[in-house]
Amino acid sequence: MNEVVSAIRLVPLEHYVMLSFALFSIGLAGVLFRRNTIIILMCLELMFNSVNLLLTAFSAHHSDPGGQVFVFFIMLVAAAEVTVGLAILVMMKRNVDSVDIDQLNRLRW
Amino acid sequence: MSALILTSVLGVLLLYLGVFGQKRLLAPVAVLGLLGAIGVSATGWWMDVPLFAHMVRFDNAAAAFNMAMTGLTILLFLFGVDYYARMERDVAEHYALMVFSLTGAFLLTSYTNLLVLFLGIEVLSIPLYILAGGKKSSYRSGEASFKYFLLGSFATALFLMGIALVYGVTASFDLGRIQEVAMAQGAAPTPLFLLGLFFIAIGLSFKVAAVPFHFWSPDVYEGAPTLVTAFMATVVKMAAFAGFLRLVQFTALPPTLATALLVMTVLTLFIGNIVALRQTNFKRLMAYSSVAHTGFLLLVVLGNTAASTSTLFYYTFTYGLATVGLFVVMTLVKRAANGSEEVRSFRGLYQARPWLAITALLLLLSLAGIPLTAGFVAKYQVFLLALQAGFLKTTVLAVAMALVGIAYYIVVVREAFTADEQPLEVQVTPLNGLVVLLCGIAVVALGVWPIQLP
Repeated sequence: MNEVVSAIRLVPLEHYVMLSFALFSIGLAGVLFRRNTIIILMCLELMFNSVNLLLTAFSAHHSDPGGQVFVFFIMLVAAAEVTVGLAILVMMKRNVDSVDIDQLNRLRW
Repeated sequence: MSALILTSVLGVLLLYLGVFGQKRLLAPVAVLGLLGAIGVSATGWWMDVPLFAHMVRFDNAAAAFNMAMTGLTILLFLFGVDYYARMERDVAEHYALMVFSLTGAFLLTSYTNLLVLFLGIEVLSIPLYILAGGKKSSYRSGEASFKYFLLGSFATALFLMGIALVYGVTASFDLGRIQEVAMAQGAAPTPLFLLGLFFIAIGLSFKVAAVPFHFWSPDVYEGAPTLVTAFMATVVKMAAFAGFLRLVQFTALPPTLATALLVMTVLTLFIGNIVALRQTNFKRLMAYSSVAHTGFLLLVVLGNTAASTSTLFYYTFTYGLATVGLFVVMTLVKRAANGSEEVRSFRGLYQARPWLAITALLLLLSLAGIPLTAGFVAKYQVFLLALQAGFLKTTVLAVAMALVGIAYYIVVVREAFTADEQPLEVQVTPLNGLVVLLCGIAVVALGVWPIQLP
């Protein structure tokens, strides 16, 4: 365990912050601009995982295990969330026979 | 803590009742269980001990919020007896998911650790994504569910980023530690800490439906089954605001963030009330009315004075009572008007059921904030608090918007008291009548004798 932590510490903290901001922004842009709902779900996962990366990096650099424990909770909740999300998606697919988000605009915004 | 365990076990028990096909037992067991949860929360009064390694603390505010939310859920379940009577399948799941969601709400009112805040929001939200899609054959229900899920998860991702950034600065998820860091940094926090708090605030704003993060709420309110809409408008809003206030009390918002949130409050007050004026669908009207009330409640959260908790509790509780009652009335009217949810379909209600129309009038007056109802006292307390906190201009705007708000509630009243050629055939079961009357009486009684948390 200590080897992993010291390996993480070899890279400066700023680099982790930059990388997870980049991943987070890619995910954010994907959610906002892609039209296929499956891709949108993947982008959401990307956003969650960029947070996981950031938490792990902070955790190693602060020598505080709390951050890594938080990562487990995020993984668990993200899995539960995507399970529900995919089920809803299947229900929608049966109703409109499409996974394009533009189909889902019958309620006025 | 016992309340948390009780509701979790109750949810599982309800699912088992569903497996063994005991549909008639569902509502009685759920209501009894929740009455037990109220009792257990009440015994926790004055017993303010930290639990789960200092991650949860059931103080008096938490106990009061928990009891109020459980009470509102009981009212909804009493209404559910009739609402789900025609549904053959999956009734147990509806009850169980609502109880699970309530468990998440308990976490939101009592957390002292960001991990528990995150879990609370998710345990509250994930059952709601499913519940919003409760009518499987209905297209609108599915779309509402999907939109709610997508925007909810998106908000969660932003919220988590905020937590990670705050953790990066404080090296802890504990609110006490975060408070120390916030105090040490004072008016000029480091960019990472500020950005982190900003993201967390955005995530919570989604949950309370503050402008510009409100756009999901009209669609979801309209598409979701009415009982679920009522649950979202009352219990979920109460829990989210209790969580928001707790966070603000501990982090003592940096000035930059406070200004940003104040702009959001102004927008919420303005857009919520103005757009509500031109709604013709009752559920969408209630959605925008809920956005408007979010504006008033945000003032309480931002004001963050000693009276904030008490004011927030009184406002959300009375707003919840009025909203639950109105949604029950709307369901009864909807059945009589061949499934129409338009405000127009209230026409002829006074002719058919005078007492129902008069109770609805009381509930609407309370939402509008007319004196002698609880809504008036609640709004008065909010304005007083906002003035004490020094938001003079915003308070003036809020008062003006409260006056605008009266207009769209009066439209519903006018329809209900207009005579129609064909009388509205409203069927009221005793239990539904009881729920509406209880809400009406409570709204007047709480207006005459306001409650205050110590």
